[in-house]
Amino acid sequence: MIDVTTPRTAAAGHAGRKKSPTGSVVLDVMLFLIGIVMVAPLVWMIVTSLTAHSAAFSLPPNWIPVPFTIDNFTEIPGLIPFGRMFLNSIVLAVICTVGSLFFSILAAYGFSRLRFRGSRAILIALLGALMVPAQLVVIPVFILMRNLGLIDNLASLWLPALINVFQIFFLTQYFNTIPRELDEAARIDGAGNLWILFRMLVPLSTPAISALAILSFEASWNNYFGPLIFLSSPESMTLPLGLVTLQSGFGAAPAVVVFAAITVVVLPVLIFFLLFQRTFVSSIAAVGIKG
Amino acid sequence: MTSRRTLRAAGRVTTSRRPRGHRQPWLGYAFVGPAVVLFLVFIAGPFIAAIILSLYSWDLLTPATFVGSGNFVALFSDPVLGKVLGTTFVFALASVVLHVVGGLLLALAVNRQMNRALSYFVRTTVFFPFLISWAAVSLLWKYVLDPSFGFMSYYVGQLGITLPDWFTDPTWALPAIIGIDFWHTIGFTFIIMLAGLQTVPPELAEAARVDGANERQVFWNVTLPLMSPTLFFATIITFIGAFQVFDPMKIITNGGPNDSTKTIVMYLYEQGFQAFQIGYASAIAVIVFVIVMSVTLLQFWGSRRWVYES
Repeated sequence: MIDVTTPRTAAAGHAGRKKSPTGSVVLDVMLFLIGIVMVAPLVWMIVTSLTAHSAAFSLPPNWIPVPFTIDNFTEIPGLIPFGRMFLNSIVLAVICTVGSLFFSILAAYGFSRLRFRGSRAILIALLGALMVPAQLVVIPVFILMRNLGLIDNLASLWLPALINVFQIFFLTQYFNTIPRELDEAARIDGAGNLWILFRMLVPLSTPAISALAILSFEASWNNYFGPLIFLSSPESMTLPLGLVTLQSGFGAAPAVVVFAAITVVVLPVLIFFLLFQRTFVSSIAAVGIKG
Repeated sequence: MTSRRTLRAAGRVTTSRRPRGHRQPWLGYAFVGPAVVLFLVFIAGPFIAAIILSLYSWDLLTPATFVGSGNFVALFSDPVLGKVLGTTFVFALASVVLHVVGGLLLALAVNRQMNRALSYFVRTTVFFPFLISWAAVSLLWKYVLDPSFGFMSYYVGQLGITLPDWFTDPTWALPAIIGIDFWHTIGFTFIIMLAGLQTVPPELAEAARVDGANERQVFWNVTLPLMSPTLFFATIITFIGAFQVFDPMKIITNGGPNDSTKTIVMYLYEQGFQAFQIGYASAIAVIVFVIVMSVTLLQFWGSRRWVYES
């Protein structure tokens, strides 16, 4: 997997350049300023969420939470069922991630390792689905879920997410890079298909699978369009929809409370990213390059 | 997941009956089958249904009536369609140019010998926003750009420049969302560009320098051509994503002011899920599909023809 988190200066097209030190310093300062601009809205959000109503949003802007308070956070559950929404988001993201990967892994093994009539045609038909935008199928899927009585139920979101054509395509390609001699050796030792798949190919594909898992979890966690269409009652909503409801719903919350809620949603993701930055970034790079 | 013992047992049964288990034709269908069923129910079926629905007039309550090409005829004389398509294309093209150029420049600036702490700081802060949902980003930026208490207006105001009231001004609402989108997703393009840059073999740039090429020539004649697959991929993926933009417009401006930020997918949403014009909305969806498909086919075709492959 490509590692883009450590500078490979030797490989850099411009590494050998004998640059004037001033040019380099100017570039450094510019990059530093870009970094500040990128992170400033997030810092402002966190600081404001920890500031008392009276002092928040004062000008010039506050960059230190004074007077400090956590009241903005404790006000959230009185306005929306925040805990329930948090749980909904986690349950949905886990089912989407684990479920889609399970079916994708099985299918990828079939396409990569098993011979059967029509396998190529089926794979091409699946690939065609990459061209179908979500907006085209959402209306019929909505009607289907309505007839099944699943509107306002998380199942209306995770059922269609169980099929992820990109994952199947990506994993099939990944499995194809693993030598078939390993399969043959395992077969001679008496291993069957399920053993070869789950005890050999899956562990050998950990980088690819964790990359797809991160992307799938992230997509579900951040999804707004789907929940907006399929979910209506606050108790079944996920966090992105809940945040918007908090800001614009009946009895809209004060801005500081909205900031507090966004902070609770965003901070765990940012911390998780800081801890697993390497995996995160190389996942994106790998999928980007092979995709 | 199945336990180790079951897996072992399953393996033994299969292999003891037929030593070449992978030659059994039904086995392939068993592995691929569940995904194919899900594909038929949630993608292929709805795809065909959407095309059929686009030929009907239906409000979900009264029985549907067949109108043939009526929805499309109505759409092509619908002044709103032209306007939302224009808005969507402006957004998508601006997004492509900003992301590809900005991402490439950032990647070039970071991919050199520099202070490790600064390098880490820039990589992290540029990527951070990409992790956040559009819902959170939209709500946050609504306040950041607020003319009375947003910090952006305050600091720029200190420089003597008065910023517009972005989201109530039909001229400035779309540029503001283009800027927010850039802040939100530039981290993705940056990472793709950085990865692409690092696939360029350093020997080639060195060889060019030995032959007397200056840095400008190395960049235009060696680095850039070798990065063409990455540039092409980034262009297509940014365009497809931007063309389907919905969340920020829905949350920040709800398409306004004066429909100046209403995109094609927002129009689809309004017709389908607010006005319940199922047939009309399906016809809009078919138009989105045709455009996205054309761009995707361009990717398949173009990556064979224009792009340097090693």
